[in-house]
Amino acid sequence: MAHDGQTQPTSPLLADLLDLTARALPEVEAIFAQGRENLRERVTVAGKVSAPAMEEHQYAAHALSWLATYTEALRQMQAWALRLQDGGQFGQMEALILQIAFGEYLHQIQGGIPMSQGEIARLQDLGLEVTPLGVAAQTLMTQGNTSAARAALVALMRDSRANATFGATGLEDELEMIRDQFRRFAAEQVTPFAHEWHLKDALIPMSVIDQLAEMGVFGLTIPEEFGGFGLSKASMVVVSEELSRGYIGVGSLGTRSEIAAELILCGGTPEQKAQWLPKLASGEILPTAVFTEPNTGSDLGALRTRARRDGEDWTITGNKTWITHAARTHVMTVLARSVDATTDYRGLSMFLAEKTPGTDEAPFVDPGLSGGEIEVLGYRGMKEYTVNFDDFRVKGANLLGGVEGQGFKQLMQTFESARIQTAARAIGVAQNALDVGMGYAEDRKQFGKALIEFPRVAGKLAMMAVEIMVARQLTYFSAWQKDHDKRCDLEAGMAKLLGARVAWAAADNALQIHGGNGFALEYQISRILCDARILNIFEGAAEIQAQVIARRLLD
Amino acid sequence: MKVLVPVKRVIDYNVKVRVKADGSGVDLANVKMSMNPFDEIAVEEAIRLKEKGVATEVVVVSIGVKQSQETLRTALAMGADRAILIEATDSVQTDIEPLAVAKLLAAVVKEEAPGLVLCGKQAIDNDMNATGQMLSALLGWSQATFASELVIDGDTAKVTREVDGGLQTISVKMPTIVTVDLRLNEPRYASLPNIMKAKAKPLAAKTPADYGVDVAPRLSVLKTVEPAGRKAGIKVGSVDELIAKLKDEAGVI
Repeated sequence: MAHDGQTQPTSPLLADLLDLTARALPEVEAIFAQGRENLRERVTVAGKVSAPAMEEHQYAAHALSWLATYTEALRQMQAWALRLQDGGQFGQMEALILQIAFGEYLHQIQGGIPMSQGEIARLQDLGLEVTPLGVAAQTLMTQGNTSAARAALVALMRDSRANATFGATGLEDELEMIRDQFRRFAAEQVTPFAHEWHLKDALIPMSVIDQLAEMGVFGLTIPEEFGGFGLSKASMVVVSEELSRGYIGVGSLGTRSEIAAELILCGGTPEQKAQWLPKLASGEILPTAVFTEPNTGSDLGALRTRARRDGEDWTITGNKTWITHAARTHVMTVLARSVDATTDYRGLSMFLAEKTPGTDEAPFVDPGLSGGEIEVLGYRGMKEYTVNFDDFRVKGANLLGGVEGQGFKQLMQTFESARIQTAARAIGVAQNALDVGMGYAEDRKQFGKALIEFPRVAGKLAMMAVEIMVARQLTYFSAWQKDHDKRCDLEAGMAKLLGARVAWAAADNALQIHGGNGFALEYQISRILCDARILNIFEGAAEIQAQVIARRLLD
Repeated sequence: MKVLVPVKRVIDYNVKVRVKADGSGVDLANVKMSMNPFDEIAVEEAIRLKEKGVATEVVVVSIGVKQSQETLRTALAMGADRAILIEATDSVQTDIEPLAVAKLLAAVVKEEAPGLVLCGKQAIDNDMNATGQMLSALLGWSQATFASELVIDGDTAKVTREVDGGLQTISVKMPTIVTVDLRLNEPRYASLPNIMKAKAKPLAAKTPADYGVDVAPRLSVLKTVEPAGRKAGIKVGSVDELIAKLKDEAGVI
């Protein structure tokens, strides 16, 4: 009991939190706006953004992308908090998450944002001076992410482990019902077997794929007129999150169908839509994306695989690599150069190349098609392949859209969805790491108590929960934009960029909590670490993502 | 044949249950709630009967707080045709007692005239295991409890019951009340299209007054306590010491 003249023992929660965050936000926006102007000055030559200047100032440009990502993330966290408050769902846990997120990210904006472990984006990179922020931001920085706040958050997390998420997501009930069903599916049908699939480097059993098809995963966002369910990107995000929480391989099964369906929806002829979409939706055919080549990854426009006319048909010749789930696939969306004497993206066309599904033992059985497995660290379950085309025949009717030279443009149209989906996979993997790390921290006892009782362990878990919510809100925002026909390449890129870093940090920290046991293959967290690593590479490596974001910011 | 399935919204089985500080009950504020697992099995069985062509309509009913409609929506997403919500309290802490629930269900049965009522054998929150039996008595219908297998054949139902030490198979006359046990089936996952469809399925909102039933509690909870924590074990030095302790202290040999 406090006596007169003594301060009451205070809650780590700031009393006027939503007011503080509301006042801090414009300051962050102002810093970003100034940083953007400074960069624009440096890279503008003769009134236009110059490519050589962008390259010279690449570090600064990417620093701006990260600063923009943090700004948008905080804006979305604030919007989330206000929505929850309106709905009477802004409880202690949500408030602590918001408070810690603002406290931490404001500090990082001023002190340096980690773009990777060794590359910190500082305000000075953007020609900005570190000046003290206003009172609201200062309060959040000094009292936001405190040891007491993290401890309070973890105490609440320990009490609510049955909840699907730490903190209300702010999504509508129907989406949470979808989450519940897929979470249960993953917990019962995926999680108990994922580690064995990974260790044996086995393909995910067809029975799991059949169950997913039955639940509607492959036709999720395909319009009803084409045999799909016409659901929102937001529901695709929730499904991807929960399946990836079981195993990234399972959460990624839908990605290929999503990309193929988007390609055909955006670029296909009416006949192609009618022919392919219903079968993609039902899961009757499994597609795969065939874009990357041994010498062409991020610089896709330079690819060299050739497509030549042969009567009515086409023949494709060239080498492709990093083809996921190639063995079982029924149709490959192949990007190849069909226009002679071109060397850039303008000569590329997209083909719907039919393939006879093979097996693990005999993945390629069609004439003109061969390939081999690429052994990988993580992200197994579908396997990665090199695929070689040698005068491989594709029907004339299977040129996407029926027009040459559109391939790159058609592919670009799918990037928003693919990035949103990848951000969701990252959240799922991060959540898996948090689940496993927290379980271990509760069970493992050292020095007479559970690991979770130690502040450095609890603190790691708290930051995972906070950053997962930040990445979630950024991802949900992108999905919302997409669902409302608003351009969202920028936000989707940010969500993917941040999500991948959050997933890696969560996996790494959860492994650290395991100590030596985390280094043993026997423990799930060893797999989660390997799986998390891919997220920063595929669907636009972090550096490419930052580059694309920077270009858009300067448009 | 119409099948009626009562479903209860209960504390999720994954939740670490906490007793309220004043000992008046379990703390249900901000706790994850789900459909009673036994009721989920009953819903699944009803849907399977419909898929087999034995049942023509599956009606689910829930009695409790307004949020029970989430539980009903889940049942609709699994495949039930329509739902009835009887909002009997506005506090999640208030448990409607089995007799009141049975009376309400009896009234619903009179209105809906189902050929079969499939209920969970008990709710995992209060473990009463009474509603189905009471409903049977109120309606004067036959009952078959703890079903692990159910075969409908014309106007009889053959029910395999899980009893102590084995299985008992009985035949009951329809219409009947069957309460289901854990091993009857494994409930399905609601598919995405069915979750979407659930939105459009009818959900009727009622109150106990609509049925003329008084749901005021007749039982009072005197005290709720958490199970005693496990005491720390000890290490014994030798087999002889172990035997001595088992004999003298534990009294088991």
